[in-house]
Amino acid sequence: MKKTKEMLLNELKNCVVEMEDEAITCVAKEYIDCGYDAFDGVQDGLCKGMERAGELFEEEEYYIPELLICSDAMYEGIEVLKEHIVEDESNKKLRAIVGVVEGDTHDIGKNIYKIMLESNGFEVIDLGRDVSCEKFIETAKSEKVHLIGMSTLMTTTMKNMKEVIDTLGAEGIRDEIVVMVGGGPISRSFAETIGADGYERDAALAAKLAKDLVKAKCGNRIVLGA
Amino acid sequence: MYWGHSMNERERLLEAMKINKTDRPPCICPGGMMNMIVRELVEDKELTWPDAHIDGEKMAKLAIKSHRFGSFENYGVPFCMTVEAEAMGAEVSLGTIDTEPRVTEYCILKSEEYKNLKSINLNKGRAKAVLDAITYLKKQGGDIPIIGNLVGPISLASSLVDPMVFYKEMRKKPDEVHKLLDFVTEESLKFGIEQLKSGADIITIADPSGTGEILGEKQFATFVVPYLNKLIEGLENYKPKSVIVHICGRLKSVYKPLNDLKSGVISFDAITSVLQVKEFVKNKAIMGNVSTYTLEYGDSEKVEQISRKCVEQGVHILAPACGLGMGTPLNNIKAMKRGVL
Repeated sequence: MKKTKEMLLNELKNCVVEMEDEAITCVAKEYIDCGYDAFDGVQDGLCKGMERAGELFEEEEYYIPELLICSDAMYEGIEVLKEHIVEDESNKKLRAIVGVVEGDTHDIGKNIYKIMLESNGFEVIDLGRDVSCEKFIETAKSEKVHLIGMSTLMTTTMKNMKEVIDTLGAEGIRDEIVVMVGGGPISRSFAETIGADGYERDAALAAKLAKDLVKAKCGNRIVLGA
Repeated sequence: MYWGHSMNERERLLEAMKINKTDRPPCICPGGMMNMIVRELVEDKELTWPDAHIDGEKMAKLAIKSHRFGSFENYGVPFCMTVEAEAMGAEVSLGTIDTEPRVTEYCILKSEEYKNLKSINLNKGRAKAVLDAITYLKKQGGDIPIIGNLVGPISLASSLVDPMVFYKEMRKKPDEVHKLLDFVTEESLKFGIEQLKSGADIITIADPSGTGEILGEKQFATFVVPYLNKLIEGLENYKPKSVIVHICGRLKSVYKPLNDLKSGVISFDAITSVLQVKEFVKNKAIMGNVSTYTLEYGDSEKVEQISRKCVEQGVHILAPACGLGMGTPLNNIKAMKRGVL
């Protein structure tokens, strides 16, 4: 008997939550074979699962190893579904760049943030680790991004975040871009002091906040598909 | 044992580590991940980075300079956490005058490739430089405690294999992860014992990638504690009561397994409160936890105030909560020390 769309969406979600990064491929194929909409599969199945995994992380039920395997499962699912997604203006994505600031090569937090941004509908360019101020600015301009996310794990490199924010101001594009900062030593008050738009301690919550901030700040540009 | 006389720096630290009575708490910065070098010390370019990461004598002289002008009551070498990883095959960039060395390329793709790793050669490269530095410091004589450093097993392993792969393998291939951890722990132990033999009084182990925040209680108990204990036991078998363990991040998820750690001293981050650690961790000397952010960006009154507060709350050893930022003013380090006077 053919499973309903809801049943399969639920299975996709559960595969992500339960870290079934192999079984998920079969479920995703079955979903497509049944003729259900691939975009819904990503949005209402895989991303819902990742959202739940993020909640379990906030609740300290899951930790980094679990969250990473959940995200692998999500990406395996996306791999199957993506070629069936019909490009549609309403799927227009929010664009973000993420990176670890110059002088720091710890990147777990940044990777988790990236994963959560993607499951919140962002198209993310990952600049990797040890990213210079110029690189952030250059890419923000050329890719017309809505969001810059910077992270660090070392107090020694925190000042580089301010440099990026100040340079965005000097270039006259600070008002068009949401800037978020995060990482072990960063506090909300530090984020405010250097003039960032947002901060959350937890990467999963930070990604939700990112979506709200970008919608509030860049709403017009997104509708126009700029 | 404290009989009421004023103690020298070595006596004071070694007694504080045993929770014995001291004339006052020591104020130290152990080196390694908790780097004790700041920009003011290397500015004259005479003894500088990255030179001092490579040359044992320069490393020792810079540690001496830091002791003289900074006022921490110890020598601490090396000034980074890349020595072991580089000796085992990872590619390292030595950084600049004011950025620390860091791993730029991992050398194995997954844990099971641990067999392809090199053994740490104690007679060459920067491992030898560290041992030379300790030997040089020991030759100076005097009463200043010499602290050698090791990178904890999880941080070392995840400097050799990409942490994104490594963390996942903890769940998917735990046996391979254990084999890799066994291997790196053996290698570290060999390097640590050699540091003690060269004249180090104390070894600090810092494992910033193996925290309760990252792994949770269960995985912390499975993958962190047993290997740290293996290191501690091996080192203290050679020299009793010689090990300090530093754990980064919030500790609240791991208070239970922390009590199973065999080190007599535990050091921790500014994010964790001294009072909470004292409540949940029993029978260990407590070391910490002056915010390195305040040390770098705060004024000296504020630094002195938080240092005093750490002491009032009962730290046995006053130390920065993490590695010093290069921009930390020497004046703030002096202010920190006023907290114990």
